[in-house]
Amino acid sequence: MKHVASIAGRELRGLFVSPVAYCVLSFFAILAGLFFVVHVRNFDEWVMRYQQMQAFDQLSEINLNDHVISLFYQSMTVVLLFAIPALTMGLFAAEKTNGTQELLLTSPLTIWDIVLGKFLAGAIFVLILGAIVGAFPGLLFAYGDPEPLRTLSGLLGLVLVGLTYVSIGVFASSLTRSQIVAFLLTFVLLLVLFILPALAELDLAGGAGAGEVLRWLSTETHLEDLLKGLVDTQHLAYFAVMIAGFLVLTKASVESVRWR
Amino acid sequence: MIEARHLSKRYGDIAAVRDVSFQVGRGEVVGFLGPNGAGKTTTMRMLTGFLPPTDGTALIAEHDIFEDPLAARRAVGYLPETLPLYPEMTVRSYLDFVARIKDVPRGVLRSSVERAMERCGLAEVSRQVIGTLSRGYRQRVGLAQAIVHDPPVLILDEPTVGLDPLQVREIRQLIRDLASPRGGQTQHTVILSTHILPEVEAICRRVILMSRGRKVVDAPLEELVRGGQSLDEIFVRETARDDVDLATEAAS
Repeated sequence: MKHVASIAGRELRGLFVSPVAYCVLSFFAILAGLFFVVHVRNFDEWVMRYQQMQAFDQLSEINLNDHVISLFYQSMTVVLLFAIPALTMGLFAAEKTNGTQELLLTSPLTIWDIVLGKFLAGAIFVLILGAIVGAFPGLLFAYGDPEPLRTLSGLLGLVLVGLTYVSIGVFASSLTRSQIVAFLLTFVLLLVLFILPALAELDLAGGAGAGEVLRWLSTETHLEDLLKGLVDTQHLAYFAVMIAGFLVLTKASVESVRWR
Repeated sequence: MIEARHLSKRYGDIAAVRDVSFQVGRGEVVGFLGPNGAGKTTTMRMLTGFLPPTDGTALIAEHDIFEDPLAARRAVGYLPETLPLYPEMTVRSYLDFVARIKDVPRGVLRSSVERAMERCGLAEVSRQVIGTLSRGYRQRVGLAQAIVHDPPVLILDEPTVGLDPLQVREIRQLIRDLASPRGGQTQHTVILSTHILPEVEAICRRVILMSRGRKVVDAPLEELVRGGQSLDEIFVRETARDDVDLATEAAS
């Protein structure tokens, strides 16, 4: 555990002395602000319109959780598709170009120490991103009355999606010595994961079972329920399985350097 | 301190190292010689635990590299051919990180880093970012990371490559000091690879010459040069003889 912390600490410090962390953070914060304003404005407009139309049914249905916060969180998962690969691309690829991979692999560390250390660094960064996102719905509590638990379960969903993306990014970074290749590979993998529900709709795979599998594999499916406030163990298990799966693959990939 | 037992490494059909065995005792400084591609780096990588041998094993300070890999790696300080540096870190924070992953106890972490910096002459650049250092200083940081946990065994892959004559002298003196230290300091056992023959004459007492993955000479330096031959002549003769051997082997 001590080693995991050392690796993660070095990685985080490395991110914050290079421009990467600041680029990702500012890019993320700016887009979060833009999306938040857009969704709040939309909400405002609909409320005004319903009032003018005297549509009381719709007025009683429209609420901050469904029509601002959930939409905002979903928009931010799209931003994560770009932000996470930028964050994770160097995690292993840079060790190879620096020659420091040889240092790590000849130190009294297990491969798991290294893999978990890298993942932990990414995970802490995701928590920082989660705090940025969480601040915006926080503002709504000052002016309206969203449901706190639903707001939190949605945020939990977003963080879990981020952690899953990090595990995929760590894996992609372990496959190559080029940071650009690692970025693109992560991005493509995340994009595939993202559009799986759309693929399921197409029914190309034939048979309803295949569509179900594709839908289950997608992060979006599980995020949707969390946005509705349904913190089901089924969804938590999905994220745990995805993260553990990619970390196991990463471990195998890092270890394979020894056997080549 | 170091015992290689029938080490072999194959990459597919190519045998990089073939059945290499040797023993190195405490305080010895052994020069690993050979033309490029002779298998020096591969042998060193097997001893440090970076590459597992295809066949054979090795003992580092009595720890088998297969049975007790973490203890074996803890006992080794390794300077690879490409310096394993993080360019964005300062010298001190880098050495601090290395000391942590090499299991230096928390209580002596600071003093270990100080000692390594002092021995390698890095005190005045301790707050500098590694990426801004000159080649000579970077080489010293590389050496400092190898000795920061005070390991009994040092494996140095071309420790003086790319240095100016003055720096070469300093590093050689440092290696000599590490092998025969003054009171209280750990006596290190050193294997260093090089293809600079005068370097071997300057610091090593024993020579292991490799050619085409095999050990062809293993003898004390004195013995080798007793006949009035220079190391240079021996090098050429032994590596050439190996070529002839291979040719006859192939013909028969």
